[in-house]
Amino acid sequence: MYKFAHIADCHLGAFRDPVLRELSLKAFQKALNLCIEEQVDFIIISGDLFNSNIPDMGIVNQAVITMKEIRDKGIYIYVIYGSHDFSPNETSIVDILSSAGLFQKIVKGEVADGKLKLKFFKDQKTEAKLVGISGRTLGLEKEYYEILDRESLEKEKGFKIFAFHTALDELKPAFLAQMESIPVSNLPKGFDYYAGGHVHVKMEKKLQGYGTIRYPGTLFGYSFRDLEQNADGEKQGFFIVSFNHMVKDVHFVETKVCEYLKFEYDVSNKNSTKAKEELVDKVKKLSVKGKLVLLKVSGELSGGKTSDIDFTQLKEILLQNGAIYANINRNALSSKEYSGIRVEGKDVHEIEINLLRENIGNVKVKEPKLKGEKGTNLAVNLLNVLIQDKKTTEERKDYVERMMVMSLKTLGLTEAME
Amino acid sequence: MIGEVVKKVIKNLDGMIRDSELGEPFLSSHNYRTHPFSVENFKPICLVKSDRKLAFVDGGNSELLSAPNFSIQLNRVYFNIFEGRSRIQSSNIPQAIEFFSATFAVFKNNKIFFDTSIFPVSDKFDKFVPDESDLSFSSMDRRLMVGSSRADISRVASIARRFAEWKFSRYVIENELEKGDVLVMDGTLRTAFVNESDYAKEAYRVSKKKSIVYSGLSKTSQLFTTTGLSLLGAIRKLSEDSRVGPLWYYHPIADSLSPEHEAAFFIVKLHENAQRVFRYEIYEEQAKFLTLGEINEVLCQLCINSCDASFPGYPYGLIDADANARIRYEELETYRVMLLSEVSKLGSWPKFSRHIESKDAHDILNMLRG
Amino acid sequence: MSVCGQIIAGQFGKILIREKSGEKIELGDLLVVEEGENSVILQVYDLFYGSQISQVARELISGMKLEGLGAGMEFLEPQLRNYILAESKAVLRISEQKTPKMLPDFFGTVRRIEKKDLEFLSIPEKPIYLGKVRSGSKIVGVDTYLNGLDALSHHILISSTTGRGKSNLVKVMLCSVLGQGAFGILVLDAHDEYYGRTGKGLKDHPKARDNLRYYSTNPPAGTNTLMVNLKSIEPRHLEGVIHLTDAQQHAVRLYRATYGDEWIESIVRGKKVEGISPITLTVLQRIVRVSLSIYLEDDEIICRNRVFSNAAGESTAKDIVKNLENGKTIILDTSKLGDEAELLIGSIIANEVFYRYQGYKSDGKLAEKVPVSIVIEEAPRVLGADKLASLGGNIYSKIAREGRKFNIGLIAITQLASVIPPDILANMNTKIIMGNELLSERHALIGSAAQDLSDDDRNIASLDRGEAIVSSIFTKFAVPIKVPLFEDYLESCSKSVEKRSNTVFVG
Repeated sequence: MYKFAHIADCHLGAFRDPVLRELSLKAFQKALNLCIEEQVDFIIISGDLFNSNIPDMGIVNQAVITMKEIRDKGIYIYVIYGSHDFSPNETSIVDILSSAGLFQKIVKGEVADGKLKLKFFKDQKTEAKLVGISGRTLGLEKEYYEILDRESLEKEKGFKIFAFHTALDELKPAFLAQMESIPVSNLPKGFDYYAGGHVHVKMEKKLQGYGTIRYPGTLFGYSFRDLEQNADGEKQGFFIVSFNHMVKDVHFVETKVCEYLKFEYDVSNKNSTKAKEELVDKVKKLSVKGKLVLLKVSGELSGGKTSDIDFTQLKEILLQNGAIYANINRNALSSKEYSGIRVEGKDVHEIEINLLRENIGNVKVKEPKLKGEKGTNLAVNLLNVLIQDKKTTEERKDYVERMMVMSLKTLGLTEAME
Repeated sequence: MIGEVVKKVIKNLDGMIRDSELGEPFLSSHNYRTHPFSVENFKPICLVKSDRKLAFVDGGNSELLSAPNFSIQLNRVYFNIFEGRSRIQSSNIPQAIEFFSATFAVFKNNKIFFDTSIFPVSDKFDKFVPDESDLSFSSMDRRLMVGSSRADISRVASIARRFAEWKFSRYVIENELEKGDVLVMDGTLRTAFVNESDYAKEAYRVSKKKSIVYSGLSKTSQLFTTTGLSLLGAIRKLSEDSRVGPLWYYHPIADSLSPEHEAAFFIVKLHENAQRVFRYEIYEEQAKFLTLGEINEVLCQLCINSCDASFPGYPYGLIDADANARIRYEELETYRVMLLSEVSKLGSWPKFSRHIESKDAHDILNMLRG
Repeated sequence: MSVCGQIIAGQFGKILIREKSGEKIELGDLLVVEEGENSVILQVYDLFYGSQISQVARELISGMKLEGLGAGMEFLEPQLRNYILAESKAVLRISEQKTPKMLPDFFGTVRRIEKKDLEFLSIPEKPIYLGKVRSGSKIVGVDTYLNGLDALSHHILISSTTGRGKSNLVKVMLCSVLGQGAFGILVLDAHDEYYGRTGKGLKDHPKARDNLRYYSTNPPAGTNTLMVNLKSIEPRHLEGVIHLTDAQQHAVRLYRATYGDEWIESIVRGKKVEGISPITLTVLQRIVRVSLSIYLEDDEIICRNRVFSNAAGESTAKDIVKNLENGKTIILDTSKLGDEAELLIGSIIANEVFYRYQGYKSDGKLAEKVPVSIVIEEAPRVLGADKLASLGGNIYSKIAREGRKFNIGLIAITQLASVIPPDILANMNTKIIMGNELLSERHALIGSAAQDLSDDDRNIASLDRGEAIVSSIFTKFAVPIKVPLFEDYLESCSKSVEKRSNTVFVG
């Protein structure tokens, strides 16, 4: 009997806050330690190991130390890119670490006669055959699935694992309805295990023709929405799979690294002064010691400004009372007197997309690629390029040039400019 | 009961029509010299090639308004040209002319005369219509009287149309036909009215000048035999008994001695499936110089034109001419309304109606019957 | 000008034309009587024989010919004496593009319609292609379109008896729409004939990849599974689809209130609710089992037709609605579903679209949204008078009556227009009438058409496969068309699209 671990969406380096960053790393280290304890033969990471293609080197260093330990114990790590840790324009940390032999990318293929033919990677020890398709931003990996030569994959004999980093239409939870996804029929049939990633919710669902498709969810999370879900009871962890020529057992292993407290407060029908008073009072009474606190303030103030409420003070109170971290979500807070642009969204990323989606119609352009959904996607891609910080070793002029080159490439104007 | 009476009527009639004895052709004595019936007088019509064209002329007229002292009529004369079965487009003169005729009673020389005024529908028709001066007739002209009664003004009014047929035929010959062609009028070549012979003579003159055969074919015939049989019926019986061929003509029947009827008479059967035979007349001055072959050729062309399924044995050209010359009821109504409208505008209706109503009781009764 | 006839008589609405010999005027022919700048288009709706020869004579001659007795006899100049008369009506004065109110000139000559006469039929802004203008059985080389922005929200009815080409027409329309991405079209495909699972279909459109989505319980690779989570079903979705008594409706609402979006699962699992008797619960379970094929087995919720699930398909309805809002065409293969399941799924999505668009209108955002239309086959299942009477109104009838205000429409396909209530029929402002032998159906269509088709009964009865009459408040007159074969039209669409660049695989 063999074993492997199915991990996904570690998003190392996602948080700027050092506490959260540390917790994220801690969860990752915990997961790998558990793999050693479980004596797994190999680990599959279904994308988004890191939160960006070039993350903070401190984080990378810590992750590498942990992974090297695993490797030294003879446990192979197989990875695919996710939508965050891949860049089409430049080398990503995953490439470097793969080249260094720390882990093996299991995505290799070529397009021939309009079909994408993927190559299997065979795990020497278990003879399990692994293959996968990486994720890309905004679901751009869709086109790979559309031309995928499924037949050749399905014909392959042996114990097969398909790793992918994309949401499936049929399995998306309702609250992720806006997420880009592909139909399950895009996946090759008849694999022994489907190792999904990208959806930050633990899921094991059976689908006709495919058996059970699994998403382990995150080890810790990469956004405050993830943390809120954790606080709501969503489990963080990964799957351990026992198999010989077929899957024998699958169990979920948790990687919880802290306690959570989620507190929601509705300001509706209260003015800013009253809301502020009540919030301070309630917050002071919360039992937050050693917990990661998520405070959600929502509703419409009947009077005063939202900035009348001193959220910094509230945060300080929580930290003073022993919270290891405190975050205040004011996305759904507004004031009757001062209404701004209301855009719905669970996190910044989603708000960005919705904002662009709703307002793109106001921009009058002739070029079809700048309109509708295509235009929205292009805007998001451009935003993702321009949001990148200057690297510490990078000269300013090099940074500007890099931004220009990547922006033009994103807009598809490189040839035109030449 | 009635059935019995009907039987008696038919039996009586059957007894009266004794066509076992054909007798002799009987025409009014002093104007015609008849020939006895003879099988020898039947001649077959042989189909030969010919490029003679046939022009057919017919006229129609209908009364629009009438009273004992006036009659307004619409008149139309029409012609067509055929070569065998194919119509030839005419291009030189109008294919049909139309005119109104207004006949009214005038008191002249102590007598009632019926004078007619002519109103062509278009200026283009002016030269084709008869002269008004030729259209004055005594109401006591024997040729027009009905028994001992004065002539009916309506009948007199129709004479204008007859004159127009002669005159128009002349122009047809002059403008549309060539040597050897044939003109066929509807009806007999007999001129019955004062001044009619002048028109006929003029038509004959032009036809002679251009060597065009002038002829007429009558739809009906009132001629008899000496045994009281109809002439045409007798000749048909003779042909059946003699088993003459499918196409034939019978000639001579009688020689005309009258200047009012300068014609050679033929009885013709123009289609093998035809039931009917017709009286055909050729202007005598031409007929006497036509060879048997030429006569055959003329009649052959008529036969070729007489194969229309609707009326086999009757020339299609005359069927067409009749249809186009006829004044239809719908046309009458339109014109009648226009006339009455003008009368009304003039304020003359009371005056007109006094005279119209002295004659229209029959119409009222018909109307009442529905 | 090539003359084909002449006006000889008639009255308004019944203009009699004598056909020029050999011209072969057909039922439905479009003819033009030229009056300088005021040319008028006439349409032939009846043909009969005319003759200068009496009936008796004709019968006799015919008898003779038939019996071999008429040798050597014929009708001379038959073209003059025996002829065809056409009854026609004036449908449009070309210069004004209005129905004429005067008679054309008496004895006016008529000619066949030409392309130049139909130059006013321009391509609208968001066109839906229907076919080429037809004159009789002949095709005039002028394309006919509906303005999608108007026509879709004002509803379209397509009616004919079976085998006249309704499905082909819908495919052509969808093909035309697919290329634009300007409308959201939901197709409840009861016979799985639109996608092209085997053979040519909409999947072969060059823009299918961008603008087409196909959902099936047995999806081919690359297409979506038709699977709707039970949590997506609300009690109002059952309205007019599944018959429930008042007590059952009350029970259903109570379950919803008690168990939230797990109300159906709770019924299937037999969970109790205070105030609902066990008998009512049993009846509800039976209804769910019979209508939706959902039952409990080994403590697991099973859906026999695999379309409903308690584990997956949570975002299917939202995905479909999102795609509709993005101007995509969504085909739902309901061929393996029962009527109720099919209509329920349609009801779920239609409800979602309707209420969303209602919201957009109240927020003042409706103008930014693409129109949405729902293609429903055998429309009397949801729009039939008896169905509405027995089951009450449903979302489809709601859309039929109110959808226009929210830019949502129906494309209703039916053989039996007569069973649709007159008020709904009257709201369907575009009727595409194909061949129909049934008198009652023709009358129902004629009676509710946008133009006066009272004389076109014979015309409609004689429509051949692929021929149609488009009667719409958006067309200047009832346009006779010939719908092209879908496969041919698809080929022409493919020619005008740029080739896609090859995918570069970046691992």
